[in-house]
Amino acid sequence: MEIDIMTIIVGGLLAIGLFFFLAGAIGIIRFPDFYSRLHPAGMIDSMGLLLSMSGLALFTLFDGGLCLASVLNSLKIALIVVFVYITSPTATHAIIDAGMRAGLKPWTKKRNPQSK
Amino acid sequence: MKITGLVTVIICGALLIFYAMDFPDFGDGTSPASTYLSPYFIEHTIEDANVPNIVTTVLADYRGYDTMYETTVVFTAGLACFFLLRRKESQNPPARFYRHTPTGITLRIEEGGKLPAEGSKVFMRIDSLWAPDSLIIKNTCRLVIAFIQLFALYVVAHGHHSPGGGFQGGVLLGSSIILFAISNDLRRSIKRFNEKTSAILGALGVLLYAGTGFLCLLLGAHFLNYKALAPIFRSTAAMARSHGILCVEIGVAFAVMAVMIWIYYNLSSAGKHDEGL
Repeated sequence: MEIDIMTIIVGGLLAIGLFFFLAGAIGIIRFPDFYSRLHPAGMIDSMGLLLSMSGLALFTLFDGGLCLASVLNSLKIALIVVFVYITSPTATHAIIDAGMRAGLKPWTKKRNPQSK
Repeated sequence: MKITGLVTVIICGALLIFYAMDFPDFGDGTSPASTYLSPYFIEHTIEDANVPNIVTTVLADYRGYDTMYETTVVFTAGLACFFLLRRKESQNPPARFYRHTPTGITLRIEEGGKLPAEGSKVFMRIDSLWAPDSLIIKNTCRLVIAFIQLFALYVVAHGHHSPGGGFQGGVLLGSSIILFAISNDLRRSIKRFNEKTSAILGALGVLLYAGTGFLCLLLGAHFLNYKALAPIFRSTAAMARSHGILCVEIGVAFAVMAVMIWIYYNLSSAGKHDEGL
């Protein structure tokens, strides 16, 4: 099995992207409160999605050969990233706004000394 | 009344469970469905209806009756929500809230106070519970709604070739309007897509479905046998079935979209259609 440069690039991008997904998933469970949990949730959408989707776009572009169909497929994958980049920060903004308006105080070490 | 309902539900549930025991086992290779129905669908879809997506053909053609009543059930759900929840908007709500747009100041006007003019550009009525004036959310939703609707039309029209069809496309169309209602407010959404429109569109969707079936009946074939529509579409029998499926899917999309919006209006404002979410 030969390993060419594209396999390394695509595999590397996917691996780093999946690392961000994993870190985000752990972060959602481990962070102490509502607001800080949104940070790893946003990280999944931004870094994880960007890296893994660009890996997939490169893969479709070079696996199918440089023809119209594979370029279109890659563009569609790029569009996923564009739309998530538009909507995901807005959703995070709206959720935090809702939390603040509902009166949820952010977690601080001083206020919760007993929690880890 | 509650006891009557409970007894009815228990009897219906018991009957359902009792007769469900006669069904063939899950994944049973000798059941009628897998001995001759599924092979027939898989082998004959292309020559019968010229549709690559077998699921769409089974849903809208081979089992057209089933889907027609599913659409009717969706419409009935909308009607049920309407009859259960809809109330007249209270003429004099206790207090109304307005935002003075240039300054961002919120006004609370007690009952009997002088209200700003209805179409005022300066004062904007806001909900009493929840009134963020979030430019970010409004503009993002404005940007995204157009794409959602475009994609919904694609899903409806492309059901022949890919996953999708009337139900999914209708839900996407409905959710775009609901997104508008969430990002702005209910009153503005109702101004653009009011209750009457949603009721009429819901009924129209069911009518479009049943009407397609009835047209086949008029042309001398069985109900929902789209082959009979071939002279209307000026095509072969197989293509006529394909076009018939599209007509039916559009009907489903209308019904699902309208009912989604209608249920949302009734649920979010507790039937008063004045403010909510």
